[in-house]
Amino acid sequence: MPDTQRPVRLMFVDDESRILRSLALQFRKDYEVLTESDPHLALHRLEQEPIDILVSDQRMPAMNGAELLARARALQPQGIRILLTGYSDVDAAIQALNDGEIFRYLTKPWNPREMDDTIARAAELSLRQRAARAAPAGAAAGADIPHGIAILLLDGDPLVEARVLELCAVDGHHLHRARQVDEAIAILNREHVDIVISDLRLGEHATAPLLKSLAQVRPHALTIVTTPYQDTQALLALINQAQIFRYVLKPVSVKLFERALHAAVTQSRHWRARPQAVVARAAEAPRDEGERAAVNGLVGMLGRLRGRFGAPV
Amino acid sequence: MADIGALEHLLKPVQALTPDVSIDEVARRFLLDEHRAFLSLPVVDAVQRPCGLISRYRLQDIFMRRFGRELWGTQPVSKVMNPAPLVLQLGTPFETAAAQVTTRLQYPVTEDFILVDGAGRYRGLGTVPHLLKAMEARLLQRNQALQHTLEDLKQSQAQLVQSEKMASLGQMVAGIAHELNTPLGYVGNNVDLLRELSAPLFALNEALAHLSAYLGDPATDEEALAHALEAADAARRAVDAGTLAEDFRQLLEDTDYGLRQISELVGGLKDFSRLDRAPSDDVDLNDCVRAALLIARNNLKGRVEVRQQLQALPPLRCAPSQINQVLLNLLNNAAQAMDGSGIILIKSWADEAQVHLSVEDNGKGMTPEVLERIFDPFFTTKPVGEGTGLGLSISYRIVRDHGGTIRVASRPGRGTRFLITLPLRRAADAAEAGAAPAAPLQREIEHA
Ligand SMILES: Nc1ncnc2c1ncn2[C@@H]1O[C@H](COP(=O)(O)OP(=O)(O)O)[C@@H](O)[C@H]1O
Ligand SMILES: [Mg+2]
Repeated sequence: MPDTQRPVRLMFVDDESRILRSLALQFRKDYEVLTESDPHLALHRLEQEPIDILVSDQRMPAMNGAELLARARALQPQGIRILLTGYSDVDAAIQALNDGEIFRYLTKPWNPREMDDTIARAAELSLRQRAARAAPAGAAAGADIPHGIAILLLDGDPLVEARVLELCAVDGHHLHRARQVDEAIAILNREHVDIVISDLRLGEHATAPLLKSLAQVRPHALTIVTTPYQDTQALLALINQAQIFRYVLKPVSVKLFERALHAAVTQSRHWRARPQAVVARAAEAPRDEGERAAVNGLVGMLGRLRGRFGAPV
Repeated sequence: MADIGALEHLLKPVQALTPDVSIDEVARRFLLDEHRAFLSLPVVDAVQRPCGLISRYRLQDIFMRRFGRELWGTQPVSKVMNPAPLVLQLGTPFETAAAQVTTRLQYPVTEDFILVDGAGRYRGLGTVPHLLKAMEARLLQRNQALQHTLEDLKQSQAQLVQSEKMASLGQMVAGIAHELNTPLGYVGNNVDLLRELSAPLFALNEALAHLSAYLGDPATDEEALAHALEAADAARRAVDAGTLAEDFRQLLEDTDYGLRQISELVGGLKDFSRLDRAPSDDVDLNDCVRAALLIARNNLKGRVEVRQQLQALPPLRCAPSQINQVLLNLLNNAAQAMDGSGIILIKSWADEAQVHLSVEDNGKGMTPEVLERIFDPFFTTKPVGEGTGLGLSISYRIVRDHGGTIRVASRPGRGTRFLITLPLRRAADAAEAGAAPAAPLQREIEHA
């Protein structure tokens, strides 16, 4: 079967076989479903055949989910990865995000309808990606893309600032800085920003709503969150609703921060060179009504951005 | 501080003598009512500086000699006075003053002490009994303060014990709550799937009811009957009886299993959390091990393999919730001693008089220096927030309160073994029964 017509293939990995049976039954009518209770066997499978969506448990005897997802990413970077866990474990969530670049962090017990929606969303992205890969390459837009990309810094931490300044000076990136949220919105409306580096607080305000609306309007923008907080719930919301790219704890380790920064720059350049590529990113709307209204308000303020870059809705 | 001016309270203004006053005159002054309380009278020079002290004792001594009064009566007091009496400045702290007085104290007490101001001028007398009384009052006060401190300490110790209890309880509740999420996940999903899967069955039932109504009605025309037949057949085809039956069976079986799992966890939580349950007579220590393992599972799962070698044990009198706390502590410590994966071996066995339980891990072990201190309150090698340093000190106390011993052997890089031994008959019970008291508590540490 040609790659483009193959049904979307899901793989669930969990050491509890009853979870696997239940999920397989739930999704078998719409997708090709594989299940593995041993992460090593799952990796073996990933070496053999393309898996479009990988959903993994976190705590398993042989290997934890975050590690499996990181290794799956190395094997199939185009795949979409999801963590499904009953434990709130910040370290695991950070590892799954930073090394596994997860699309969602889902919790057990899950709501079947929401799970359906999430998988459907991922499947749709996966199919579009596949179609875009199969389409003949457009004009080599990469040729006229300037080497430098644009970074918006929403963090006054001297260590972070020094690293970013150094990187911009060496590689010729454009740096924008804002000390307030409305300043940040003005910059985002004016400039094409590839990477946002943000603390969760800026001046008097929380930046999460801004990051969440930015993710809705422009999925290409990569967010690196730098924060001293370690709250699983907040992190979960940032992954699912702001599609953050990396989460770096403060005080930042220079090595970790630089690694995150380089990953973001590489990814941004890659996308800039391929404007037609489908980005497998799609933010969920916040659950809380008040927060949703705030995010929608900001989405409106970022309206010009949507028009300019024609992000897929 | 209360010391400032403390000596002022001891000050008695007494008219001082001059050096040239005659001894007869001194004797007369001693007889005055106002001088009754004093053992001695001060002598000061022209600028009011003390230059001596004359005591009743000295005077008696003189007058009792033969012709003493006749020989000495007209002599000036300066000839017989003590030229170097104890002089204290009013500003001297009480403690210092008391020390000075008591070091010079001789028995019998024959003199008072002189109090002077900052410039060394005579202000009055102080008496030793008065000073001793003040010292006693102070001691009493100090004692009360100590008593309070002791009570505070006891209370905060109780709070610490409670907080360690709460910490392990909290950890355990969080663990169980998370553990519940897995069965809750598939049970909930299965119920949803069963609802979905059963929908075509209801549709089939309805189509069959229609068909049967048509069949039973002689007035039905051919066409309607054909329609009904077709509808029933379609509904039947929508139900793949074989697969459906198998799916139903599997989903129901898994759901049953999940519900049992959930009630087991909740039951474990209930058993475990009866923290202040009174001691009970017939506790099977192996049940405690199982309860603690259920609770600790969250911490162990996926990393640590637990092996159990539990032999049948006679019933034991103990407070199971406390023993559970000890076991949970040992299990958590063992798990925390491992980088990545490891093995915990739990053994239990009994002899005529005792029950033994060992918890062994192949974690990082301890150096002799660490081993020396592990039972000390607050001793921890773990980062803040991870270790309270109270787990073992509390475990030690619990085991001691049960009349038992806790022993440990450890080797860096190899692992650690804790051995708990509990007597089948408590020392107190034994004493009641008139038996000899149990051997004193051992607190053994071995370097394997
Ligand atoms: N099984 C073990 N292996 C290695 N070290 C241990 C073990 N159990 C206890 N310890 C040491 O004893 C210390 C005190 O333990 P404990 O009183 O339970 O307090 P905490 O666990 O909060 O540090 C620990 O910090 C650790 O250094
Ligand atoms: Mg401990």
